[in-house]
Amino acid sequence: MKEIDELELPGDVRYSATHEWARMSGDTVRVGISAYAQDRLGDITFVEIPQVGASFAQGERCGTLESAKALSELFMPVSGEVVAVNSSLEESPELINQEPYAGGWIIDVKPGNPAEWEILMTSDAYRKMLEGLE
Amino acid sequence: MQAETRTTPLHSWHSARKATMGDFAGWNMPMWYPSGAVAEHRAVITHAGIFDTSHMEPILVNGPGSLDLLQHCFTRDLQACVGSGRTALKPGQCVYGAYLDERGGVIDDAIVYQFAEDSYMTVVNAGMGEIVAGHLRSHGEEFEARIATLPGAVGKMDLQGPLSAKILATVLRDPDRVLRDMGYFSFKGHFDHASAQADTTLADGTPILLSRTGYTGEFGFEIFVDARRVLDLWETILSAGRDFGLMACGLAARDSLRAGAVLPLSHQDIGPWPFINHPWSFALPFNKDQTSFTKRFMGDCVLEMRDTAEHTLPFVGYDPRKVLLHDRPVVLDRAGHEIGVVLTCVADMAIDRRGDRIVSMASPNAPDNFKPRGLSCGFIRVKMRREPGEVVVLRDSRRSIEVTIVEDIRPDRTARYPMNRMI
Repeated sequence: MKEIDELELPGDVRYSATHEWARMSGDTVRVGISAYAQDRLGDITFVEIPQVGASFAQGERCGTLESAKALSELFMPVSGEVVAVNSSLEESPELINQEPYAGGWIIDVKPGNPAEWEILMTSDAYRKMLEGLE
Repeated sequence: MQAETRTTPLHSWHSARKATMGDFAGWNMPMWYPSGAVAEHRAVITHAGIFDTSHMEPILVNGPGSLDLLQHCFTRDLQACVGSGRTALKPGQCVYGAYLDERGGVIDDAIVYQFAEDSYMTVVNAGMGEIVAGHLRSHGEEFEARIATLPGAVGKMDLQGPLSAKILATVLRDPDRVLRDMGYFSFKGHFDHASAQADTTLADGTPILLSRTGYTGEFGFEIFVDARRVLDLWETILSAGRDFGLMACGLAARDSLRAGAVLPLSHQDIGPWPFINHPWSFALPFNKDQTSFTKRFMGDCVLEMRDTAEHTLPFVGYDPRKVLLHDRPVVLDRAGHEIGVVLTCVADMAIDRRGDRIVSMASPNAPDNFKPRGLSCGFIRVKMRREPGEVVVLRDSRRSIEVTIVEDIRPDRTARYPMNRMI
């Protein structure tokens, strides 16, 4: 288990209080889970991802992550429609542990409400929140 | 259970290696190291893993009434338990069984080791040393046996996996002599240098008790050593194992490995209910046609409960998705009727389905570049006997998963392989 100051928390994404990250790229938002989340969950062994075309509200449950010890929920960091899913996770869920911000991305979303972006935390704010959790 | 969390002599080592720690039976133990529980589980199948098991508790039983006491309290018939010929336990041999209460419920499971005539050791689970010792003492006067626990004095580690003997051979003094004839469930040496049995040592002279047993279903050893030498031995073995793919492993991998090997976790898969109608009938002193017991013992009333007691059965799922035990998951038959409870549900990450077969990473017929997705597995306890092959549903508050009742889970396990194939 890593210390908070050892976790990679890149500045080019925003974070939710439930440990998802969101990266704006053109008119879509890519979503994954933070280095903190994958570190505390341990090995991810199975991912249940929503179907392309499904729509969810911000904060709504949209999938599950199975790990060695537990089952955790994936929540939508922004509302919108799922326009792509990372099919590599079906065979290689460990990508979430190995590259949480790159090959371990989970879904791409077409955001429904740009104002929601501002509710998400910067890396500094997220790190402060994590320090408060431990 | 202890009010304060206890730690083993390796606690600082685990913390320094950034293990994810968790509490287990009153002990703060590593759940997994940064390499992760999946890699640790697979290392034991393909190479080797080492586990800190110093939370387990040895109890010494000595005196002229030792055999009679153990015959009265332990579920194995020590005069007829070894091999298919059912010979008596001899010095240097050990056997797995359980201690039952008068109603046939499990107090704890254990291994009994025989050092010499009138001299035994029994190793019980974390937090159970004083409880089982008290249980034995309550019969001690009747049987002229002295019962001693050794709190904090003895450490233990388990070296498990097909390369275990090769690793061990590099740290033992006279490895050929020690390992050559070591069969499954035999042991050598003693952790106490003052003992007459302390004839098995490391290269530096440290005495160990080396037991060809374990809790993974894979080939390997449990090693007992003076608690002050635990860290030295742990680091020596890890260093020796570097070229053999040895990994330090936590309790998560231990749990998933033992479940895949159809081994029970005491106080979870066996407990205060009748110890009968389960996959571990070998732990009861049945006669050859399974109609009666070969001895009388405390809890032998379980024999009369066969027609009424619930059934504990292994199952395997279709992917690594689990139900969560703290959710108190239930078992449903295909018609949706509730028929029982889930005792263990983990994922064995070294196996997968290929058609109607289960294949392990260790299977000789595994496909090239076999990368198992893992399968959920464990034990259920149901009201009525169910046959292997029957599909049931496990349900917790969030999901339902289909699983199949089976007789065995992970194929091609190595625990019983002959030593000459492994050295």
